[in-house]
Amino acid sequence: MSVLTNPQLWASTLAMTVPLALPAIGGTFSERAGVVNIAMEGIMLMGAFFGVAFSYWTGSAWLGLVFGVLMGGLLAAVFAWAAIRLAADQVVLGMAVNIFASGLTAFLLNTLFGYEGTPPDTPPLPFVSLPWLGPVFSHQSVLLYVMFAIVALSHWFLFHTRIGLRIRAVGENPLAADTAGLNVWRLRYAGVIVGGMLSALGGVYLSIGILNSFDVGMTNGRGFIALAAMIFGKWTPVGSFLASLLFGFSTALGIALQGQGVSPDLLSMIPYVLTILALTGLVGRSTPPAADGIPYTPIR
Amino acid sequence: MRRMATTTTAAILLMGFVTGCGVAANKAGTTENAAGGAPKVNFKVGLVTDSGGLNDHGFNHLSDVGLEKAKQELGVSGSVVESKSESDYVPNLQRFAQQGYNLVIAVGYLMDEAVKQVAPQYPNTKFLIIDDPITDINNVTSAMFKTEQCGYLVGALAGLMEKRSDIQGLNPQNVLGVVGGQKIPPVDSYIAGFLQGVKKTDPDAQVIVKYVNSFNDQAGGSQVAQTEIAGGADIVFQVAGGSGIGVINAAKSAGVFAIGVDADQNYVAPNTVIVSALKGVDTATYDVIKDTLNNQFKPGVQDFDLANNGVGISKTTSVVPADIVNQVNDLANQIKNGSLTVSDQLPKS
Repeated sequence: MSVLTNPQLWASTLAMTVPLALPAIGGTFSERAGVVNIAMEGIMLMGAFFGVAFSYWTGSAWLGLVFGVLMGGLLAAVFAWAAIRLAADQVVLGMAVNIFASGLTAFLLNTLFGYEGTPPDTPPLPFVSLPWLGPVFSHQSVLLYVMFAIVALSHWFLFHTRIGLRIRAVGENPLAADTAGLNVWRLRYAGVIVGGMLSALGGVYLSIGILNSFDVGMTNGRGFIALAAMIFGKWTPVGSFLASLLFGFSTALGIALQGQGVSPDLLSMIPYVLTILALTGLVGRSTPPAADGIPYTPIR
Repeated sequence: MRRMATTTTAAILLMGFVTGCGVAANKAGTTENAAGGAPKVNFKVGLVTDSGGLNDHGFNHLSDVGLEKAKQELGVSGSVVESKSESDYVPNLQRFAQQGYNLVIAVGYLMDEAVKQVAPQYPNTKFLIIDDPITDINNVTSAMFKTEQCGYLVGALAGLMEKRSDIQGLNPQNVLGVVGGQKIPPVDSYIAGFLQGVKKTDPDAQVIVKYVNSFNDQAGGSQVAQTEIAGGADIVFQVAGGSGIGVINAAKSAGVFAIGVDADQNYVAPNTVIVSALKGVDTATYDVIKDTLNNQFKPGVQDFDLANNGVGISKTTSVVPADIVNQVNDLANQIKNGSLTVSDQLPKS
């Protein structure tokens, strides 16, 4: 049991939670507004790449963060336009965005920075030490604390404000919302774009939050695990966060238990086994918003 | 409305694919120009990377470096195609062979089956496969690297460093770390050598070995390294491809040392990477191109080891004391003259 009392295990858990929780909450915003979003992986890659690129070009990691998030929002806006205005199939679109982003970031990396990768002197975002909270918080990215704030703010926004109620309304029953005078399309755009920016922030965390470099495919499937976390978390920000925490913990536990007579291949399956258990409803049924994935044509 | 949506979807999908393939196309185009005008000899070399691609900071990249050198110095022409997945290996190899390329290079033991399938169909084309022993096809040559030897040397170096108390940045605990990408033979031969080297110079040291289970997960590599560093490791050897950049990064943040792999990775973090274990995929690629060009193609397995400079260690940084460098050089000479042998197998645990 000494494994569980090792503060490094819990520090790793938190560090591995951030790049899952941010896109999971991002997906929650999009799907609560009624747009199925499986494009988190691609949007994260955009955030990760442009985070590093602008951090290097401007010399400021914070500007890198801003541009990374904006580029993620831009890609999400294109996705939203095709999904909402053109009523295209959202799953196919999401996959297209993923393939597009993986090709684009690989191309730009090699064209702009060459095969050696991004320059090693790229400034990263600061680490924040709060030693009085214990060794777990002695060396964490500033974005960990930003994530805590985003969890609380998103919950308040979606469930305790008027605009949050409206966003949920267009995801449940857009016809009723439209009849009541809400602009369904505008609210859906808002949900998808805010969601894209949160996903991109998850990518920024991977590239300049805990490191200072970008590599092809560095998100390594986290956008898809985030999708599972969002479903496991029943399309709520707090649930998404808790599910991400569980997945982050299983990753950290897999690392900690290696070399103790357990096969690393077996251990690396833990997050996926948990995901399957979650999806098969063994831990309570998850019901998506009623109009999730159904394009809406305004009555006017 | 519906039709427009479908068209847009198709257009976006197409854009994705075009961009995806654009990397390979662009690379092929630029490398052909980079040779500086028309090639001097009519000899075409095709390079097929494995799914790691040219950004792997490792053997795919090094193989390309070797090809570039051959283009500059021998005047051959060359093209590179990056495999996006394992199902691309056969068509990529076939494409070059069909177009009458003189030599096709398959990077990585993952392409074993693909080469065995394609090579017999094109007897007029020669094939080179890296890291995989193919002995029974007479137009295939295999470049094998005794990476356990350079792993041994950096292990011995780390052990010697660990025993010293006068080196700044090392903690009093006698612990070293190794981060592997995946538990596969080309990774484990490095690690096996490292463990034997440490045992030779610092038998009491504890070595923590963990795997990221991915070659392109920098964040994962960083976490694995942090776990080892928290366990007391103050020199971390990474054998993890792209994930290894995260390992070096974690070592840098924690103020401990790292050992690079395949290429000299000192450029990633100059004060952190004290030495790198080198795998001369670039020299091997260049040599085979040169031999084939001069009609001296040798089928079967070619071993690259310390004795023929196929593997080695990079220059150390100033943190490593000169007497340690000398002791490591002595060990290198013992391996070269055969008085010291290194196994490529991990000890049974």
